[in-house]
Amino acid sequence: MGDSRTETNPPAHEAAAGNQSSEASAAQKGTVPDSRPPSTPKGAALPWESERRPLGTFLRDHFREARESLAFVAGAVGTTLLVWLLMGIALGLPAGLYILQANLAGVAEGWRGSAGISVYFEPGAETGVTLALAERLRAQAGVADVRLITANEALAEFRDYGDLAGTVELLGGNPLPATLRVSFDPPLGAQTAEVLSAGLRQEEAVEDVVIERTWLERVASLSALVQRLGWVVALVLGVGAVLVTSSSVRVALESRLDELRVLKLVGGTDPFMRRAFLYLGCLYGLGGAVFAAMIVSLTLFTVEQPLVRLLATYGGDLELRGFDATFLVVLLGVGALLGVIGSMVACRQRLRNLDILA
Amino acid sequence: MGSIEFEHVSRRFDNGAEGLHDVSVSFAEGSMAFITGHSGAGKSTFLKLLLAIDVPTRGRILVGGVDVVRLPRRRLPLYRQHLGAVFQDHRLLARRSVFENVALPLRVVGMRERDIARRVRAALSSVELLDKVNLPPRYLSVGEQQRVGIARAVVNRPRVLLADEPTGNLDPELSQSIMGLFRQFHQVGTTVLIATHDRALIDAFGGRIVELDHGALIRDNGAAGDSSHG
Repeated sequence: MGDSRTETNPPAHEAAAGNQSSEASAAQKGTVPDSRPPSTPKGAALPWESERRPLGTFLRDHFREARESLAFVAGAVGTTLLVWLLMGIALGLPAGLYILQANLAGVAEGWRGSAGISVYFEPGAETGVTLALAERLRAQAGVADVRLITANEALAEFRDYGDLAGTVELLGGNPLPATLRVSFDPPLGAQTAEVLSAGLRQEEAVEDVVIERTWLERVASLSALVQRLGWVVALVLGVGAVLVTSSSVRVALESRLDELRVLKLVGGTDPFMRRAFLYLGCLYGLGGAVFAAMIVSLTLFTVEQPLVRLLATYGGDLELRGFDATFLVVLLGVGALLGVIGSMVACRQRLRNLDILA
Repeated sequence: MGSIEFEHVSRRFDNGAEGLHDVSVSFAEGSMAFITGHSGAGKSTFLKLLLAIDVPTRGRILVGGVDVVRLPRRRLPLYRQHLGAVFQDHRLLARRSVFENVALPLRVVGMRERDIARRVRAALSSVELLDKVNLPPRYLSVGEQQRVGIARAVVNRPRVLLADEPTGNLDPELSQSIMGLFRQFHQVGTTVLIATHDRALIDAFGGRIVELDHGALIRDNGAAGDSSHG
């Protein structure tokens, strides 16, 4: 303006975030205290009320802002790709951990090869007793297979381990008990297995019952760990994604400060002015989500064959789960949401303190 | 929008200097006046306070009976939508066409597209720039850019038009032309307040003069000089 005086105060109307009172402002500055009357009551009619905005106009404005944001993104390809890559990494890691957790849970649920119970008889248990129990178990619902390993078969199997063959000779007799290997279909739940094993322990000549769930427990523990890790990583990288978007939108916002100042001068509201930047943040988030999906997809493609071979050695099969339409929709939604939140952070900071006549 | 009243308005800055000191002055609705004084007299501070860009450290500013100093932040945009402001540096957006620059205040209020087109053309017609509608501002002369700024200020038919050194960069002939435009708007009932230190211009147009010096009101020819359109 024409006045050459240096004015160091920010515009108090604009800087008064949270409707800080002018009295407080004046007190902080050590200026003359204000003695003005109470503020205009909220909701009180003013002599310059606005007309209701037609829906068509509202939608048209949104469409125009979205189109301009798209043009901005397209016009800054380098910056946009960098933001998308950063967002993609930030979203891709927790998304990948989710896929890993979903598949570990699937492995734990679907493990068939080793799930079962081993029933160890007392040494010298009569063959008739062991056969009778095996028959009774075969007759039970849900039992897929019952295999009797006699004491002699166990000894023969033990001798097959070359290093231990001499040890057996030193013992002079067969110390190994007969064993029943019981597998179930569908796999037993932990509680059912406990009940069943408790019952078997009461049987004549049974020394011990072991629930063979070590693998399942490990996988389940790993799944729980991955799940928790996923939440922590999602939280940390989610904040990171918001900051990435916020910084990028802030750059865009700074490049349009002249326009924002004019908009504010002619009565643009904060929601009106930030609309374009919300679309920009949304586009950054959506692009980041697409990049994240690509990263996860590429990772799955890379590890699929080795994983199939690994699981096959444990008698399992791999059916990758989690990377489906629902996953993609949620990923896009989360990306867009984080982008919008980042934009809101940037706009809130900048627009509130925007000096119209800077 | 009603009358404008400054009641014992003071504005003290962080460095202790007073932009305005106990200024009390009022302007009837539809009046036209010059706010004058040397550089640093407080003219711009006066307009900033009226635009609600700044707040006084003391006093009240009533527009249509409402103390704009006390307006909640969320209501300031609505208040500003009913003001028009013209600046010496035009504040036009270089990347947008003349049409888009002038249309901004109408987009802010959510006007229909066909109404925007009609209003913008009318505003540009009033400043005789209809033939430049699709050009970006950089292709216009300084005087034309100032007229675009005026068109933008009046396109939403504000009840109050504020101008800060609107002829600062213009030659006398163009200045006369711009002042003629302000007079036209005043004649249709708009309150026009013009901050300028150009005494020759003020003398040429006459009317009410409010003179400031070091933030204090030192002269107001008031009703005698009030240039009311009625």
